[in-house]
Amino acid sequence: MQSLQARLSTGLFVSLVTVFSALWLIININIQFLAEEYIASRLKHDADTLLNAISFDANDKLILNNNKIDQVYHQPFSGHYYLISTRTQYKQSRSLWDQQLKQINIATGEQLRTHQPGPEKQSLLVISSGYQISDSLFTISIAEDLNPIKENINTFLYWFALISLGMLVVLIALQAIILRYSLQPIIQIHTELKSLEQGQLDKLSTDSPRELRPLVNEVNHLLSVMEQRLRRSRNALSDLAHAIKKPLTVIQQVAINSNIPDGTKDTLVQQSSEILQLTDRILKRARLAGHSHSGALFSFAEDLPALIKTLDMIYTSKTLQLTINMPDNITCPIDREDMLELLGNLLDNAYKWANQHIIFSIKIINSALHICIEDDGPGVETDKIKELSQRGVRLDEKTAGHGFGLAIVADIVNSYGGHMDFNKSTRLGGFMTELVVPIQQA
Amino acid sequence: MRLLLAEDDHHLVATLKKDLQHAGYAVDVADNGVDAEYLGNEMIYDVAVLDLGLPQRNGIDVLKNWRSSGNVLPVIVLTARNAWHERVDGFKAGADDYLGKPFHVEELLARITALLHRSNRQSAGLLNTGGVTLDEAQQTMVTESGATHKLTGIEFRLLRYFLLNPDCVLSKSRLTEHVYDFDSEKDSNVIEVYIRRLRQLLGKDRIETRRGQGYVFKSTS
Repeated sequence: MQSLQARLSTGLFVSLVTVFSALWLIININIQFLAEEYIASRLKHDADTLLNAISFDANDKLILNNNKIDQVYHQPFSGHYYLISTRTQYKQSRSLWDQQLKQINIATGEQLRTHQPGPEKQSLLVISSGYQISDSLFTISIAEDLNPIKENINTFLYWFALISLGMLVVLIALQAIILRYSLQPIIQIHTELKSLEQGQLDKLSTDSPRELRPLVNEVNHLLSVMEQRLRRSRNALSDLAHAIKKPLTVIQQVAINSNIPDGTKDTLVQQSSEILQLTDRILKRARLAGHSHSGALFSFAEDLPALIKTLDMIYTSKTLQLTINMPDNITCPIDREDMLELLGNLLDNAYKWANQHIIFSIKIINSALHICIEDDGPGVETDKIKELSQRGVRLDEKTAGHGFGLAIVADIVNSYGGHMDFNKSTRLGGFMTELVVPIQQA
Repeated sequence: MRLLLAEDDHHLVATLKKDLQHAGYAVDVADNGVDAEYLGNEMIYDVAVLDLGLPQRNGIDVLKNWRSSGNVLPVIVLTARNAWHERVDGFKAGADDYLGKPFHVEELLARITALLHRSNRQSAGLLNTGGVTLDEAQQTMVTESGATHKLTGIEFRLLRYFLLNPDCVLSKSRLTEHVYDFDSEKDSNVIEVYIRRLRQLLGKDRIETRRGQGYVFKSTS
């Protein structure tokens, strides 16, 4: 869907342009109409004046008293013209010079308004009216050039359009500013959601407008519910693991120290270890957070050194050289406990089997976390590696050393929708695990 | 070596205590976090085995409190909570080693031995000071001349404490503290009897008597 700001801006822009265009159009039509009406009424007055100057002699000949006629009708092409016509004769103003108006004869008392082209490209408004003096019928057509007033109108319209356009631009700019200001809270929530995704925030800020507050509160509520649920279920699982393991440990110890026959003892120990392993694996799988943002995130700067220190302490008797290839300031939004479990198991295997060297590489390519751990230990035979890759690491996997720990790693990788491969390390000659986990990168 | 076992499961404590005593440790048991913290601050222990799921006070808190008050007692954390983030948090709180349940007693013993060597700046493997080698698993001693002697329980405990603290003046009461647990009958005169027995095996000059102060095991004869 289009962004809210773009939609509002487009709507406002279109409506503003429409309003201004309509305004311009209405004013344009009205002002033309008014101007013409004004001129028409003036022409009617002139026709009345002209009527006073008209008389007919005994032979019904048209006589004009020039003294009563305005000077403007005597100047050639002045823009003011008349034509007085009867059925048989006509007289027109001197201003027409060698040009002619179209002769129109209409009945007495009638009036006609026409537009005609005049001399020198003038455009004329002609008012023709029919009169009768005693028995003589005649028509007075009186005309005026509309061009000068049209020019004035055009100038006015030009300026009006220019000022309107300026106002339009100012209004649109103002709208954009108002929009940006009003949408600020939404933009803020948008950025907050992003940081939430990356785990830089644990809830949205409640300082939001009234309309958005229910949404923000609901999101925060859901976040806290999810976090609580994850924590509760993790704690419950941890307690359950604890509760199951304790009696099993005791059973094992008692079995080992008791006087029961060796066969029974072995079965007892073996079966209880199997229950323990199963419990462990299933509980660990159930604890996985996966791609939900509801817990602390793994920090390469803090958690990784702590993990390595932990491993160093567990394997104090070994002197191993661990090479870490990792870009500076690497961050990725992945649950801390999941990541510690993943790296802990992988590195534990490497520490267990390596003779001297471990190479641990991490990089982020195209929103995917690439992890590679190699050791110089005995490794796994090629056919076993194939088996591992083909079947996936199964619960009953009993590959020497690289068994149980890899199963939980496989569970974690699967829950994140990633994949992993096993190989022989070309650099160190031992076991190599490569895995790719897609992440939501900023 | 005196060991504090902080574990609330009585069945596990019963078997574990027996195994630990058999391996030559004087074992005191705390079955809750508050007692464990108090005992751990008594400064008479050489190592502590701490369960994290203790009643009254969580093992992690006990450990944090020890460390924040400057107590450097070597601690092996023993717990069923063996997810990696819990291990990392355990080490962050100041644990020296970590053992997930279930475990084999042999592994726990090996780790305790390794931790004791480490905290007394001894190398891993057999305990060797000034030519005297102690096999902690077999509880036997090999002298400079190459003769192997089997040691009794108290002899072994005493010699191990000497070997881990060479060239230090060790008072009779300190030796008693690290050799016997709370439940044992303590008679400091008995220590003299065992010292005499060790001198017979090691030669007279190895263990020197400082009158009014105690005994010193000399790393160079």
